Amino acid sequence: MTGEEFVSAGAGEALASPAPAVRLSGITKRFGSVVACDEVDLALERGRIHGILGENGAGKSTLMKILIGLVLPDAGSISIDGVHQQIHDPLVAADLGIGMVHQHFSLVEPLTVWENVTLGEVGRLDPESVRNRVGEIAEQYGLVIDPDARVGDLTAGLRQRVEIIKCLRRDPSIVIFDEPTSVLTPEESVQLFDSLRNVVAAEGRTVVLVSHKLDEVLHATDDIAIMRQGSVVDRQSAAETDAPSLARAMVGREVSLRSERAALGLLDDELAAARMNQATMNRADPILRVRNVSASGAGGVTLLNDLSLDLAPGEIVGIAGVEGNGQRHLSDLLSSLLPLAEGSVEMNGQTIPTGRSGAMARAGIAVIPEDRHDSGIVLEMTVAENLVLFDQSRVARHRMLDRGELDNFAREVIKKFSIACTGPDAPMWALSGGNQQRVVLARELAKRPQVLVAAQPTRGLDVGAIEYMGERLEEAAGDGVGVLLISSELEEILDLSHRILVMHSGRVAGEMGRADVDIERLGLLMGGAVA
Amino acid sequence: MDAFFSAAWDVMSSDSTYLNTALFAAFLAFAASGEWVAERAGTLNISVEGMLLAGAFTSAVGFDITGSIAIGMASGLVGGLVIAGIQAEMSHRLAADQFVVGLTLNILVFGLAGFLDNEIQPETKLAHRFDIPLLSDLPLIGQALFGQRWPFYILYVLLPFTWWLVFRTRWGLELRAAGENPQSADVSGINVNRRRRQSIYYAGFTAGLGGGFLILAQIGQFEDSHVGGRGFIAIAAVIFGGWTLRGTIAGCVLFAFALASRLSIQGLGYDVNSELLQSAPFVVTILGMAIFAHRVRPPASLAQPFVRGLK
Repeated sequence: MTGEEFVSAGAGEALASPAPAVRLSGITKRFGSVVACDEVDLALERGRIHGILGENGAGKSTLMKILIGLVLPDAGSISIDGVHQQIHDPLVAADLGIGMVHQHFSLVEPLTVWENVTLGEVGRLDPESVRNRVGEIAEQYGLVIDPDARVGDLTAGLRQRVEIIKCLRRDPSIVIFDEPTSVLTPEESVQLFDSLRNVVAAEGRTVVLVSHKLDEVLHATDDIAIMRQGSVVDRQSAAETDAPSLARAMVGREVSLRSERAALGLLDDELAAARMNQATMNRADPILRVRNVSASGAGGVTLLNDLSLDLAPGEIVGIAGVEGNGQRHLSDLLSSLLPLAEGSVEMNGQTIPTGRSGAMARAGIAVIPEDRHDSGIVLEMTVAENLVLFDQSRVARHRMLDRGELDNFAREVIKKFSIACTGPDAPMWALSGGNQQRVVLARELAKRPQVLVAAQPTRGLDVGAIEYMGERLEEAAGDGVGVLLISSELEEILDLSHRILVMHSGRVAGEMGRADVDIERLGLLMGGAVA
Repeated sequence: MDAFFSAAWDVMSSDSTYLNTALFAAFLAFAASGEWVAERAGTLNISVEGMLLAGAFTSAVGFDITGSIAIGMASGLVGGLVIAGIQAEMSHRLAADQFVVGLTLNILVFGLAGFLDNEIQPETKLAHRFDIPLLSDLPLIGQALFGQRWPFYILYVLLPFTWWLVFRTRWGLELRAAGENPQSADVSGINVNRRRRQSIYYAGFTAGLGGGFLILAQIGQFEDSHVGGRGFIAIAAVIFGGWTLRGTIAGCVLFAFALASRLSIQGLGYDVNSELLQSAPFVVTILGMAIFAHRVRPPASLAQPFVRGLK
């Protein structure tokens, strides 16, 4: 086990320094047959920012939930400032000075900011003093917020601010940030890391930053622990390491340049242009034609506004744009979820009725939906069941499921798509995000579609899974499938697309070929400027 | 059509309509205020029906033994709280389905109350009337609001107190959080199921008072059919009111008015099919729900059990 060599390294370090703020020893946690944490040993020093880096499913979040008392470990011990502690409840953790800023927010949306901040405290409810304290913290760390705003009305960045204030109000000596930038814009992320430095520098707190983004960990932390498959496999100092070596430690192999860049969030103009020049498409007749479609939602809000696009077999068309400009509705339209006010959708010259359940799918359009938990999979069902969720024909006899056939089919797919699970009967919830997405991909490709819509296909996935998804999309295009890639990750679009359409305010604001990408124009189009 | 309007006018201008509306509304409001608290914490507490009936019975027995209206009212709490205890512990400690528990309790209480009533046959009488000076002389509503038997006036304290409890105390904040987003509340260190249990006890408390009110300030004699589904109308009032206390009270008044008009129409000598009239309050309830219920937002986790752990 790779973890074991690290046990000795960790123990050796402990002798050299006084009791660390946190020491985790032999922490093990299993969920069913999945080992989330496998004898993890980790020491966190005071006054430093510790990065915990790992792919999805590496056990980072579980480890932190154990530290905060949300999950009870099966084995192992925790000492805080050298004193052995049993943390069986978030309240105990709070008493010990451990606070966490959660990945999925711990806020109650209908309540106001100050009500959320004071939630979980004890004593008489004193709105005035809570409001004042919110103001003080806001000023001290540059986290300005209106204490009387309803949390449900706030943007993701501001919600996180509330979360941080809520955490800091209890004056924790140890602050854990779980994937803090997954919902933030780049500017908001920079702001966050600034205040993170303040928190450490000003009060000598211990900060833990859990992330799967290499650049984030590299730039915002001091010490980095890398987790893989439930174990801490390596430790590096942020000052002495670089992104490639972190990436190697995280995935356990060399990752391709593309996904490394995706993980870094860097944009390399020259390279992108080079890649785009290599393939010039000879355009076949379009298979999918979307003609001047418009649709509006509740309250007359315009969702799609006179949008047109063509997609040819074997072509990857990237839909770029800032999120919330109609991309989701475009994918809804092609999933038969959105009825149209105007315009039409044609496949092979045939107009397809919109908003009629299953019509698009029957016409040969497969969709990898944006939110896989919401509309891609059923978490409580097995891998095999999820694979045949919409089409049981290949595993059914006389309209009855043939369990043996289902089992064989699932085994075959699991092997073909390298889905990491205990078998066809593994419950879907036991799989990591990347593997869940592979199940969705496998199912959609099994329909032998003519058009594949991939909406944010790599969201929340780790480097390895992103790379895999890109390869599969290119492979599908190579087989003659028209691929519509809707993504808010510009790098992903630039890497994979033959043609790029930019969406803004529900319409296609501009188009460019792979060969003639102009980054500046792209940015202007995304920002809604006429270019 | 003229006949309809003249009947409507007679009903509207009759003192007894207002007096009865106030009485029926009061009974509903006792039940609905606690039900509202329970629902804000995330429990759709259908055993409120059973709580009312149990409270009515124990208050009748309490009065029979002591001869004191005050002790009778206090004994009403016993019945309400016992049912609340079973509902709370079963659904939010043992994680049994809240509807199954509630249904079972309602049936159980109905049978038990009928049986015990035959065995014990408690004798009761009504509390004395108490006119609030000046206010009770107001036309139409004076007697209805300020000339009632004294347990009626408990509401004037109970309703503001309930509002204060939910919106001005930490307990209220925590129970609202438990009803909206139990996961977040749990992460924040709140014992979600304890808050939910406590809010059901509060529902038992107010329904117990409601049962006492029914016997000692409205009817004067225990009868197992007297609650007769009005616990469910109280639930409808909470939904009608969009899970606000103000709206809930408005719902109670509207539904009570429908109940009272029925009596007035018959009292005034109009010849309307009585079975049809009997159904009127429920028709109003359904109409009210159909018109208003889709415009409001229930607590996000209403009727969803909370179990700690990873999602």
